[in-house]
This record gives sequence, structure tokens and C-alpha cells, in this order.
Amino acid sequence: MSARKGWGALLREALPDFSWRGKVDVRRESLAGLAGAVLVIPQAITFAYLVGLPPEYGLYCAVFVAFIASLFGNSAMVGGPNTAVSILLSVTVLQYAGRGSPLYIEYVLILSLMVGVIQLGIWLFRGASLFRYFSPAAITGIKAGVGILLITSALEGALGLAPLSARFFYEKFLVAAGGWNEFVSPCALLVSGITIASGLLMKRRWPRMYIVGAVVVGSIAGLAIVGWRGPVDSQIELLGHVLLKPFPLMWPHMGPEHWVIVEGMFPNAVAIAVLGLAQSLVIARDLNAGATVNLHKETFAQGLSNLLSPFFSTFAGSGSFNRTSVAAQMGACTPLSGMVSAVAVAVIACLLGPFFTYLPMPAIAGVLALVGIGMIQWKEARPLLRERIDGAVYVLTLLAVTLLGLEVGIMVAAGLSVAFFMASVSRVELQIVREGPGERIAVTGNLFYASLDHLSAHLRQGPAATTLLDLSRVPYCDASAKALFESIRRERMLHGGKLEVVPA
Amino acid sequence: MRTVLIAAMAYALASIAPATALARPTIEELKARRVLDDYESNVVYGYNIVMETQRYAPRYTGNRLRCTSCHLNAGTQPDAFPLNVAGIYPKWRAKNGVRNGIGLRIRDCFLYSLNGVMPPEEAPEVLAVAAYIHYLSEGEVIGRTPDHWGVPTLPDTNVEPNPARGGEVFQRNCAACHGKDGAGTGPFPPLWGPDSYSAGAGFNSIPKTAGFIWANMPPGGPRLTHQQANDVAAFLNLQLRPFDPREGKLKKLFERIVHALSAAWAGDKP
Repeated sequence: MSARKGWGALLREALPDFSWRGKVDVRRESLAGLAGAVLVIPQAITFAYLVGLPPEYGLYCAVFVAFIASLFGNSAMVGGPNTAVSILLSVTVLQYAGRGSPLYIEYVLILSLMVGVIQLGIWLFRGASLFRYFSPAAITGIKAGVGILLITSALEGALGLAPLSARFFYEKFLVAAGGWNEFVSPCALLVSGITIASGLLMKRRWPRMYIVGAVVVGSIAGLAIVGWRGPVDSQIELLGHVLLKPFPLMWPHMGPEHWVIVEGMFPNAVAIAVLGLAQSLVIARDLNAGATVNLHKETFAQGLSNLLSPFFSTFAGSGSFNRTSVAAQMGACTPLSGMVSAVAVAVIACLLGPFFTYLPMPAIAGVLALVGIGMIQWKEARPLLRERIDGAVYVLTLLAVTLLGLEVGIMVAAGLSVAFFMASVSRVELQIVREGPGERIAVTGNLFYASLDHLSAHLRQGPAATTLLDLSRVPYCDASAKALFESIRRERMLHGGKLEVVPA
Repeated sequence: MRTVLIAAMAYALASIAPATALARPTIEELKARRVLDDYESNVVYGYNIVMETQRYAPRYTGNRLRCTSCHLNAGTQPDAFPLNVAGIYPKWRAKNGVRNGIGLRIRDCFLYSLNGVMPPEEAPEVLAVAAYIHYLSEGEVIGRTPDHWGVPTLPDTNVEPNPARGGEVFQRNCAACHGKDGAGTGPFPPLWGPDSYSAGAGFNSIPKTAGFIWANMPPGGPRLTHQQANDVAAFLNLQLRPFDPREGKLKKLFERIVHALSAAWAGDKP
């Protein structure tokens, strides 16, 4: 795996190259970037809520993390806040501090830094090649699972169940169903419902920008209700003032006293790093199918953007499926669109800042649900479910993510990918032809410790037989296979049989 | 297990610090510590919000008041709405007609007195202020109203409060700090106008304001008489201030937009 290239090549990967300069269509890329910026703003605020941080952090993520990832990357992938990464950040840090408290923010920043360091480590050891083995079915399963998690947390937001904690996602809904009139604020539910319904209606007409339309409709509806009934009677929570700084530079508070936390968060940091990279690299791979996209360079860009994220007072992100696909549909094919998008987010967010104050939280819950619904794509899942193995990976990953949690789901997905990959590699075909008194076996496939069962069972059937074993179509034959042939040859000699091996 | 370790580390570091007579560390001691646990960091955060509300809780604040504008000395001064009240919540309040936990009480302050946006139940700012109130309430008896709670109730003077006389007293005794137009100067809070408390705030009642003025104002100077305090309170009650947020019909929303636009016009932050 480690094709040593020397330090020069590594350095070239680590510096922004503008090799796309020549073929860039500035107008098309800028338009795609602008569309991405409009699309990301409601998502950034929503995902910051998902992480448990103030909305500013999400917007900074859509600006700085996205910009660095595009600057150092070499594809049209759009980075920034990501659902799955956001969920995992919050799950990890919640073990150590109360949601949104000063310590919580400190730990989220440290965790983001750790994710960046781990991803840079993966880059240094050429780990991007490993993500080729991450099964697309598993990624689709994770996406669908995250979609379900998003819908449940949106329901929590809409019903006001967030302070409740439950072991399994459905427990909260049982509570809500039991104490319906005590928990549920009808106005908040109405605003969420309007947001979701308008989004689903607009999805047909404007498949790219329907979320933005839904936010606008939901906010107007929410504001009308708040204005008419007053903030006390309507019980609708508003976002509050959003104070953006053009350069939110900061030095995260870190020291030896954080070692215990770092140690505790490490396994989840690895999970986040792997999940972020898996998504980003799958996106980059699908985007430039056939073209020259350097996955190692993309890994470096992701790692660097996450490593630097705490210094811009924000959290880790990764590539985004929905924003990248919109950018690609609008004709973006270079990193320029991502950079334009990041700058445009900064400008638009600063201009719109005062309006964010009156963004109703139930409308944000509605966006969460819409993003979740968008992630469960039946179109992607159907072909997978027709295949036996892909279907199994998809269903098992989905179940693991929804029932056992995202961090377990990722491990299950990785394990299943490897397992089914091994299973497919270890399949060996035997062509058995009778030749006079003996038989001739032509073997196709790799012969190694895991793939020998079938062949050895066949060979041990008749100890007195004569067999010619043709290994000319065996690319790899390991020591345990050779030992097996040797022991069978001895056995056959005792019983008067014969085993002849034609090596590759 | 990890939290135990962190707690142990924090405890070890805390025990290195010089022992004080008080069981609870002061805010300065907490701020000087290198490691704080979740509760302590929330106490410090809550203290910061109380002292510098615009800086630490800008999201939900709508005017230029700070918590400590009414809860004097960061909520430690007796007879000035001291904040050592964790033991008397939850309780029923006539204001909203429901059982109020300390969280809802704090959120109400953001909505009415700070004329802002009501924070969500689990907002970090609310939890931090709650932690600070809890910290101040150490040693109080649960369920018993603390001594010098709220503000004193003034005796009946048998004379109606007179706003006109109150205005004169205000210009003579209060305007030096609070400004002739009541807009406040420097650290002294605005008493009316768009940057002060709303008409729905608890302070917008003559008996409460009079008690507060009589017990605490002017600081360090000679006290006003009961009648003077009543007069000033009546004068303050007549001034223009933001609408009560309980009034709907787009009134409050309209006011907010006008306020934001005029602030933007003046060139500073809303």
C-alpha cells in the first residue's frame, strides 16, 4: 500500500495547487458556489444546533472549514458542516460536559482538532487507499440511518423533547404520546409542520433549492404566529441575536489537564475521522469518475481543514452529499466553486445577520427533518436491496445506526465491508474434468488460509485417487495452501494415490 | 470513571489552593483555577452573564440592562433582589399562572426585563445562570424565603404617589447618573426608553420600584423618604418603554423592527 514517493511528492500534495486554473469556467463555478452558499446557510445553523453549539459556529464552519478544504483539495466537492459528523461530535462530548456549557464548547474544539490530526495521520500513511474497500452499500446505509436520526431529533425539536434523555430513539416518542397535552406546543408543531409540508411540496418543483424555500415559508409563518399571539402565548422559541465576526480567530484552551479527556474521546475521534473521510472520499470518487482526482490530496485537505477549525472557532466537518450534488448539477467541476461558496456564505450571513434573530426554532427543526428525509433515498437503496450481499450490508448498517447509535454503526459498516470483501476474495472456483483414471482440477481464484476449505474437502474424499492440480490461474498461493498440498501428497502416497501440482 | 478522574484532578488542584474560611470558593478563586469541573465552569459563566449580560448572553438580550443592574453586586446585595433564591423554586407565580422552576424564572427575566428573546429551556446561558444562583444559595434552607429577599415593602404613607413631584426628585437626585432623559450613563442603566426594561417587567410596578429605590438608591448617599421613593416610582412608571411582550397583534414585532432599523440607522449594533 505504501508506495514511497519521497518528501517532495508529499509536500506537493500538501500545498494548494491550482492545476485546475486552465480549464475553469469562472461564471459557471461562481453561480454554483452562490447556489451552494444559499443552500448551506439554513443547514449550517441547523447542524450547529445538532452539535449543541451556538449558530455562529455552524456558519463559521461553512465559511472557514469549507474554504480550506476547497483551497487544498482538487475536486468540486463542497465541504463544511456535515450531519453525521455533527451527531457524533455531540454524542462524544455529551459524556463529559453539559450541552452548550463552556466546557462543552472547549471539548468540541479539542475533539475537532483531534479529528484533524488523525486524518492527517491517515494521509501520511496513505490510508486513503483503504477507503476504496468501504462498501457503497454501507455508506448508503449510514446515510439512511443518519436520516432517521435527523428526523427523530427534528421531532424532538418540534415537540420540545430535547431535554429528555432516553436510551433508544423511540422512547421519547412514547413519552410524548403519553403526555401529549403537557409536552406539545401546538403553535411550534404547526410551524414545523408548515415548514416540512412546504418543503415536500416544493421538492417536486425545485429539487435543488427547496430547503431554502421551506425555511422562508416556515419563518414567515412562525413570525406571523409569534407576532399575532405574542411570544408568551405562542410559546415559539426564536433563534436570538447572531453576532458574526469577520475573522473569529481564537486559540483553543488546551493543556495537560485535558489529557484525560483526549484519551477518553480518542475512540470516537477515530470514528469521526474515518466517517468524515469515508463520506468525503466517496463523494470525490463519484464526482470525478475516471478523471484524475488525487484521493490522498483530498484526505490532506480534509485533515487540514478540521485541524484548523478550532482556531477559527468552529467544529469539524466533511464533504457534503447534498451540497456537492447541487454544485455538480449546476456544472461545478473545480474547487473554485467551493471557495466562492465559502466567501459568499460569509457575505450573505453578515448581511442577513439581524434577520436570523427571528428565525423560529420549530422552522429549524423542520429543516432538520427535510434534510433527514432527503438522506433516505429510496432510489439509491432499491438496486442495493436486489443484491443479496449489498442488501444485507445496507439493512444491517441501517439497523445498527438507528438502534445502537452512529458510532457503533460505523464500526459495523467497516466490519461488514471488510467481511464481505474477504468473502468475495476467498471464493475459489474449481473446474473438475475427468481424465482417464484420474481427474484434473483447474483452480481460479486466490488460494490462502481462508479459501482452502472447499478444495481440501474435495481432495480428501478419495485418498487413492490421482489428481492433477492446475494452478495456472491462481494469482496468489500462500504458505498454508502449500502445506496442505504437501500433506495431501503424503497421504495419497500412503494409499497409492497421486497429487501433481502444476504451479502458476 | 472518567468523570471521577476529572473530579479527582480538579479536587487535587483545588486542595493546593490556599484554604479559606468559606466552604465555597469565591468567583475570583474559581477564575484563577486552571481546571474547573462542569458545574464550576457554569458558575463562572453564569457570573459573567450576570455582570456583563451584553457580552456573554447577547443572543437573548434586547436592551442595555445587565442582570446586575437590578440584582445589585452580582445578586449578592440584600434588599436588591438578591439571587440566593434557589431554595424557593419551584413555586407558583401569579405572573404566568404556572409552576415555575428556576429555569423558567430566568427565561422570564430575559423576555420581560431584558426585553429580549425567550431562551429555550436548555439554553446554556439559562443553565449557567441557574448554576450561579445555586452557587449563591449555598447555606440557605430549602423552602424558606431567604432574609432580605426581593425588596422591602414600604409602609403606607396615606398620600397618593405623585409623578410630577417624583420627576423633580429624579432630576435632583438621580439624573446625575441615570441621565436627564433616563437613558443611563456609563455603567448606570437606562431607566426608560427603548433600551430599558419592558412594560411587562416586574420592575414596572410602583410598590416594587419604590422599595428598591428606598433601599438602594442613591448608592452611598442619604436615603429618600418613603413618599419620595413612591413619587419617583410613579414617575418612572409613566415613561415610555418597550411594550409588554404578552401583547400580541404584531405590536411587539413591529416595535422590534423599528428599534432594529433605528439602531442600524444610528450605526451601532441592535
